[in-house]
Amino acid sequence: MSARLEFETVIGLEVHVQLATRTKLFSSADVSYGDAPNHHVTEVCLALPGALPVLNGRAVELAVRAALAVGCKVQPHSVFARKHYFYPDLPKAYQISQYEEPLATGGWLEIDAAEGPRRIGITRIHMEEDAGKSLHEPGDPETQVDLNRAGVPLVEIVSEPELRSAEEAGAYLRAWRLLLRWVGASDADMEKGQLRCDANVSLRPRGETRLGTRTEIKNLNSFRFVEAAIRAEVERQAKLLRAGGKVQQATLGFDPERGRLFVMRVKENADDYRYFPDPDLVPLILSEERIEAIRRTLPELPRAREQRLQQEHALPAEDARTLASSRALADWTEAAARAHGRAQSVANWVLRDVLAALRERDAEPEAIRLTPEGFAALLRLVDAGRLTARSARSLLPELLFSGGDPEALVRERGLEAVSDAGALERAVDEALAANPKAVEAFAAGDAKSLNFLMGRVMRRTGGKADPARVRELLSEKLGGRR
Amino acid sequence: MSRISRAEVERVAHLARLRLEAAEADAMTRQLEAILGYVAQLEPVDTAGVPATAHVMELATPLRDDVPGALLPAEQAVANAPAPRGTAFTVPRVLDDEAEG
Amino acid sequence: MSTPLPGLGELRARLDAGEVSAQELTAQAFARLDAVEPALHAFLFTRREAALAEAVESDARRARGEPRSALDGIPLALKDNIVQAGEPATCASRILEGYVSPFDATAVARLRAAGAVIVGRTNLDEFAMGSSTENSCRGPTRNPWDPERSPGGSSGGSAAAVAAGVVPLALGSDTGGSIRQPAALCGVTGMKPTYGRVSRRGLVAFASSLDQIGPFARTAADCAALLDAISGHDPRDSTSLPEPPLATSRALTGDVAGLTLGWLREAESVPGVAPGVLAHVREAVAELERAGAKLREVSLPHVPHAIAAYYLIAMAEASSNLARYDGVRYGRRASGGGSLTELYERTRAEGFGAEVKRRVLLGTYVLSAGYYDAYYRKAQQVRTLLRRDFEAAFAGCDAIVLPTTPETAFRLGEKSGDPLAMYLSDVFTVSANLAGLPGVSLPCGLDAGLPVGLQILGRPLEDATVLRIADAYQRRTDHHLARPPL
Repeated sequence: MSARLEFETVIGLEVHVQLATRTKLFSSADVSYGDAPNHHVTEVCLALPGALPVLNGRAVELAVRAALAVGCKVQPHSVFARKHYFYPDLPKAYQISQYEEPLATGGWLEIDAAEGPRRIGITRIHMEEDAGKSLHEPGDPETQVDLNRAGVPLVEIVSEPELRSAEEAGAYLRAWRLLLRWVGASDADMEKGQLRCDANVSLRPRGETRLGTRTEIKNLNSFRFVEAAIRAEVERQAKLLRAGGKVQQATLGFDPERGRLFVMRVKENADDYRYFPDPDLVPLILSEERIEAIRRTLPELPRAREQRLQQEHALPAEDARTLASSRALADWTEAAARAHGRAQSVANWVLRDVLAALRERDAEPEAIRLTPEGFAALLRLVDAGRLTARSARSLLPELLFSGGDPEALVRERGLEAVSDAGALERAVDEALAANPKAVEAFAAGDAKSLNFLMGRVMRRTGGKADPARVRELLSEKLGGRR
Repeated sequence: MSRISRAEVERVAHLARLRLEAAEADAMTRQLEAILGYVAQLEPVDTAGVPATAHVMELATPLRDDVPGALLPAEQAVANAPAPRGTAFTVPRVLDDEAEG
Repeated sequence: MSTPLPGLGELRARLDAGEVSAQELTAQAFARLDAVEPALHAFLFTRREAALAEAVESDARRARGEPRSALDGIPLALKDNIVQAGEPATCASRILEGYVSPFDATAVARLRAAGAVIVGRTNLDEFAMGSSTENSCRGPTRNPWDPERSPGGSSGGSAAAVAAGVVPLALGSDTGGSIRQPAALCGVTGMKPTYGRVSRRGLVAFASSLDQIGPFARTAADCAALLDAISGHDPRDSTSLPEPPLATSRALTGDVAGLTLGWLREAESVPGVAPGVLAHVREAVAELERAGAKLREVSLPHVPHAIAAYYLIAMAEASSNLARYDGVRYGRRASGGGSLTELYERTRAEGFGAEVKRRVLLGTYVLSAGYYDAYYRKAQQVRTLLRRDFEAAFAGCDAIVLPTTPETAFRLGEKSGDPLAMYLSDVFTVSANLAGLPGVSLPCGLDAGLPVGLQILGRPLEDATVLRIADAYQRRTDHHLARPPL
């Protein structure tokens, strides 16, 4: 697009992520999604007179994991600060966040940009509590307020303004989603609001180092909308600048149905949040030992896993990438490969058939109940010719999602492949004898009749014959009749 | 020298969501002026290199286990509310320019 | 004619000896309350039936030989900013009209577990902001010694209730002197513990880094018993000290030999200190010397700046803590419709009194962009300097002695027109809050018929020492036995 030639796009993203804790950041109310209003609150969540906050240790641990996973410096001393504004879903009229002394700074996240992998700098990661929800129904003169979500633990991840396109923004978000799920910090499901994104977008003439005026796009709740909104905003700013206009600082929303941006607020003055250290809390002190202890619990991270899969198991890059898109999948596949012995074969089955089965059910790899050893056993049955690939595929969904012993299941269903040469030959002879017309048609040159006859043989063997072998036998016998 | 103007007082009143009548705003401006005049005595105090007190007692960070505790039943949560609707709180519909920053 | 209740020690003795039952005690408390309340106005709420029922249960426990503690069956009062489950909590503010707390303050839960009988909730300056109880939306409490005078504040109701003998014990809160000052003006003993000693959970926050709940009683020994019952780590208050409950009662040896007291030099140069007050306090210190304590002079050079630092910090924190009062989830909401912004503005304008508004405005101002460093941060730095002054002083003494207030009880209306004048009366008390120190005020005589308070400040965590000195003084003198002519 022409915008790219004259202007450089500068994008910074602020991502808010709900940490995967059972309870809220400063209260012991449980985190829950979708329930009736105010069914998950304590006096702390409601900001009742006399209520006090107490920090959730697990939230700290998960936040530190996320920070270490992108190489941030985790600060040994960070401070919770009050950020003041009035809004019905903010019960204390301040949010407990972190301001001058955040949990972590520095770090970078690698994304796959058009020209290849690129590192996007992470400015800071800090902890804060989520607000509740305001519900506006059309035509209702009132707004309803539900505080179930008030106090849920969040980390805010601020990137350096180093993203250069809507596609890179999308890649950045996807990389974060993978990483957060990988280290168990969050389920990062954008649809459930567990990962939210605000985008800061500005343009500058190519070669210019100073930043242009930026606008902020808020309330983007899917990867697609983030990319679409950024694209729309880049175009809008480019048009404006080309016509000699100036970009006005504003907060924008995106209407996905119309694919259009709209102004939420024109920012004339910076908001005065009156930050100060929360006197109800003491500083968060994290010793080197504690930080290291958490670091030691981090698993091998996605990129490293991807590379290792490529090298150790001689997998093509793209296959390694797909397997490393989910820690559960990568772990399971590797364990199955170890149990089976031939990683490439296991990988092929996973990439083709296991993923297909998951897609069919719209399930995540975490839903797999079949042990890696069980999967390996299934494949070994096929390798040994005791089970046709087709039969194996038919059993796969059930085994995957309910677990079980493949050998036992095969026996139970009587799916043992017909490999007995005599039985096979009998089946072929019977099929040929029962379908003289097809035999004649084949002799007359109709190749399709072979498939028909194959079908007949397969039916006679209850699908338990090895198709390749059947074709071989048929060809032999038919060939003799030409 | 005026330390705080009437306009400032009105700005701050809005930040604090306090409506002041004209006479009240006048009185407040005078009183705040006097108080600020008094606290100005801190300006010349030499505080170079002196850390601000964050907390009077040095405490290790108290942490809570991630275990759900007793909840307030929803009915009790709205029991003190001036205008509940079911178990939700209600407010006049939020206008765009009231949306938070 | 009603009789004031005796102190805790005597009540316990009578209960244990079977001379009186908890039921009778509670009834006596209410009889005394009914007699003095029309003149005093110390109480905002009473809970007669519930208290009597609890007293009955206490008697049953005692009959079984199972009293829960030294406080079992003892009537006491709570300041109306310390919440109790199922009871109103208004903080003497319109904005909390009708509010009923669903949870107990930790201090209250511990008292109820100890078997104490809570008879009612006392008057205060709105949201604990004030030094005279004139800022209550329900009108002021009157000083039992002279009904034309203030009992002090903000815990004026609790101080008056104990002074008038309605209850032997009461809880108050102290942010800048709100227990010690009314104790001094009403002639009772009141104590602010070391910051973090008593859980703040359930104390409606005014200034979080300064607030503490503390006891009022007729004697330091009684205060000790009450403090012991409510103190100790609370995992639900992140600023709570990781210390077990105190056992200060056991530290009251009556002995001050070997202790060094520091007389505050700056006490003599503060403008407006009444000569009568100074004289009585000096005499009290001399008595402690005769009891075996050594005396020296100490200086806290930054004390003249303490009020300025205190008010900047307290107002800033208050403006933040009171932002939640908006009529959405509880309390009173302005009527008449309008937008959300109008609802907030009118609710808070109608709900808050003038002093609260003043502090919210100033607090908001000093936290706002451009002023934070010059005001709030500067004040916190001066606070550090004051804490260093105390550390230096305590290197040479075990406790600092000084007047609690510059003058005796002032007339109602005398200072209410001049906020700054009111603030200046806190000159001797705010430093202890800024530094988190334990401090007690105890009666040391009458000046023109009005009580004078001696204040004793201790090192952080030395609550027991402070009470020991006060108790030793009270064993040798009888100023604390004086009662107002009610």
